[in-house]
Amino acid sequence: MKSQIQVLIIIYSIAFGSFTIAQPKLSIDFGMGFYEPSLTGFDQNEDVQFPTKSLFNRNMLVNWGFYYEFFNNARVGYNSFTSFEIGKNVKLPKSSAAYSRSIKYRMFPIETYFRWKPKIEMNFTLAPIWGRGRIEIDTTPGDKEEDWDYVISSFGGDSTQLNDMGATDAMLNDWLGYSSMLGLRYYLSSRMAIDIKGGFMNNFYNEKSWRVQRQKVNGPKMKIDDLPIFSMKFVYGIR
Amino acid sequence: MRILLLVLFIFNFIHSQTNNLAQSTPCEHPLILLAEEKGIKAIPIRDLIKFKKIVEDCERLGDKEKIERMIYNDWQRDYEKAKKMQSWSSTHAMCVFVSFAYYFVGQVIATKPG
Repeated sequence: MKSQIQVLIIIYSIAFGSFTIAQPKLSIDFGMGFYEPSLTGFDQNEDVQFPTKSLFNRNMLVNWGFYYEFFNNARVGYNSFTSFEIGKNVKLPKSSAAYSRSIKYRMFPIETYFRWKPKIEMNFTLAPIWGRGRIEIDTTPGDKEEDWDYVISSFGGDSTQLNDMGATDAMLNDWLGYSSMLGLRYYLSSRMAIDIKGGFMNNFYNEKSWRVQRQKVNGPKMKIDDLPIFSMKFVYGIR
Repeated sequence: MRILLLVLFIFNFIHSQTNNLAQSTPCEHPLILLAEEKGIKAIPIRDLIKFKKIVEDCERLGDKEKIERMIYNDWQRDYEKAKKMQSWSSTHAMCVFVSFAYYFVGQVIATKPG
């Protein structure tokens, strides 16, 4: 009985060993995404002059990710789309502050695909999203609470929401969402490819669930649900 | 059973001493043979520059056809493996397509309430 178990272990290790050598395929990718959100909390803010909107800080997203082929014709991975905005000399009551804002759409996609032609692949992606918004303002140390109250009031909150501040302060918000995309991939070589995707994403963003130093505050109004999204990226297969 | 395992162990040990790196031309290099047998993606990243150099040497020596065949076979291997969807993956693709179509058709024909 004992030797049968040993034989079973040997057979399983050989069988499973060959499976793990044959199957894994790891790829990394980086590129750009495009979408059109409506960030009215920034663009129509009458009290704080945030940087003027442009193609770069509204519509373009920096995209990177990695995928692992876990099944024939199926990959799972991580894909991040980030929108950045930076500005300086944002006029606040006590200081002229440096400001930065990022919106990250972190996707955990399951992608299935098939090769239509030897060099052309069609892929289908469904992804849950864990989104995160972050607003940083570098205020003058002594008067930062008043300046932060001013920013939060400009978003529709009130000055009683914030009681104390720390050395490093940022407004944060997390939300969930989902995305669906169709894509076309053209293989330049067996390792390299250009991937173009189009689809939509839906984010359950709530402007009232922002936080500063664990205190709930109001954040900017942003319409980031029901958004068409497009991406173009370069893919490199590691193995 | 112990004797069998011992024989297998000794056999592996002896086999591992065989020098399989000896080759007469770059076209018979183990990396070329590995790429022919298991595909170009089976080459480890750390050996990619070396592999590229060996391929160039092999082409220079006149065996360009062998390299072209290796690349063609690699495309065909990937294509044959991925040209048909298997198991649940077609259902997943259909779900994505339906949600995609529902969203974009909705964008075109839906009217705003009120």
